[in-house]
Amino acid sequence: MNRRQLLGLGLGGSSSLLLGGCALNGVSAAVGDASQPLNERLEALLQGQGKVPEFRPDQVEPAALLVNSFNGVPRLDPERYRLQVKGLVGRPLSLDLGTLAALPQHTCVMRHVCVEGWAAVVAWSGVRLADVLRLAQLSPLGGYLLIDSADSYFESWDLASALHPQTLLATHMNGAPLPAANGAPVRLTAPIKLGYKQSKWVTGLRVTAQLGERRGTWEDQGYEWFAGL
Amino acid sequence: MGHTSARQPHHPLWTRASHGLNLLVLIVMAASGLQIYNANPVFGGRGGATVPELLTLGGWLAGGRDWHFGFMGLYALNLGLWLALLIQRRRRRLGELGDLTALKTSASAPRRRLSAHRLVYTLMLIVLAFSLISGLAMYKPAQFWWLTSLFAFAEPLGVNSWQALRVSHLATIPAMVLLVVAHIVLSWRVGGLRLLRAMAL
Repeated sequence: MNRRQLLGLGLGGSSSLLLGGCALNGVSAAVGDASQPLNERLEALLQGQGKVPEFRPDQVEPAALLVNSFNGVPRLDPERYRLQVKGLVGRPLSLDLGTLAALPQHTCVMRHVCVEGWAAVVAWSGVRLADVLRLAQLSPLGGYLLIDSADSYFESWDLASALHPQTLLATHMNGAPLPAANGAPVRLTAPIKLGYKQSKWVTGLRVTAQLGERRGTWEDQGYEWFAGL
Repeated sequence: MGHTSARQPHHPLWTRASHGLNLLVLIVMAASGLQIYNANPVFGGRGGATVPELLTLGGWLAGGRDWHFGFMGLYALNLGLWLALLIQRRRRRLGELGDLTALKTSASAPRRRLSAHRLVYTLMLIVLAFSLISGLAMYKPAQFWWLTSLFAFAEPLGVNSWQALRVSHLATIPAMVLLVVAHIVLSWRVGGLRLLRAMAL
């Protein structure tokens, strides 16, 4: 092989790589399916039960928090709003905003990370999801939490992440009532999950033992299910 | 092979295997990384310029993530094992301060080229390790918050740690492109076809 042949081989090889790239797009999901079970196990192991360090309240970046919505902005009447909690619970609940406000309130100043790559530090306040689930007498048979939203967005979480002390049903953002575009009156927030796991306009929580066919609005399109941070 | 009497030398199998696998995995990581970049360009955000589709892998954000996180384990294992073996068995092959001195003071051009070659490939391994560390800091910013917080170095300049992290991780692509070009040129100048065969075949 001389220099010229070598050069030809290099050029030929790189162009076939470029052409092959387009064909390879079709097997992306198969690559994900092959690697995600192991990745998700490692993610769950890494996550632990402890709290993630929080930011200072003066570090919030309101302008950096972009709004993503898959189906517009539903306007919910605060008077008629009810949060339904059902499934594998001893006491199904239908909570109005007054009842939620009467539960212990927590604030978490966290980095909200979007799957797209951007991030913003936000102070979310509200009740712990764990407190609501315990109020409903969560069954030990429960393994997953299904989350319904008013805009028909759907999510499912592992229960360990749902019970994390920094996973909140937030009613306030950066010290003010939650704006409609950010999920008013109640949305899910957690520093341990990507943004698309943090459903806005949450209206229903269902505890189940198994995951069903539908895992989430974006997960069913191909995004990771665990999506831990 | 004809009359050339000297036997074609070969690097150890583990070196050749890691080298080849690293090249393949690196192309996948860079192309899928650029696919992820396009979902929200590091420079300019939603309005920012995107990378041509020809250089990306995955087709859309979730596809790019499938490749990037599907190959990251392979990338980390290969790089980790390779670095461990290099340090343990071939430490003298890695660039060192003596090469920097030779580069500045040696009167012999081949000696300077060899030193430059050693420094370049050693720097490549450092950049690759850095891309792994910065990637981990972005993949798990909650669990490795201490790693992510190292990127707060640009905060006095008004660049928050997340943006510094994104820029740092992205910068490993142009850095590696430059180093790969230098690496190919230098290995050709240092060892020609014989060196290429020793590594690639």
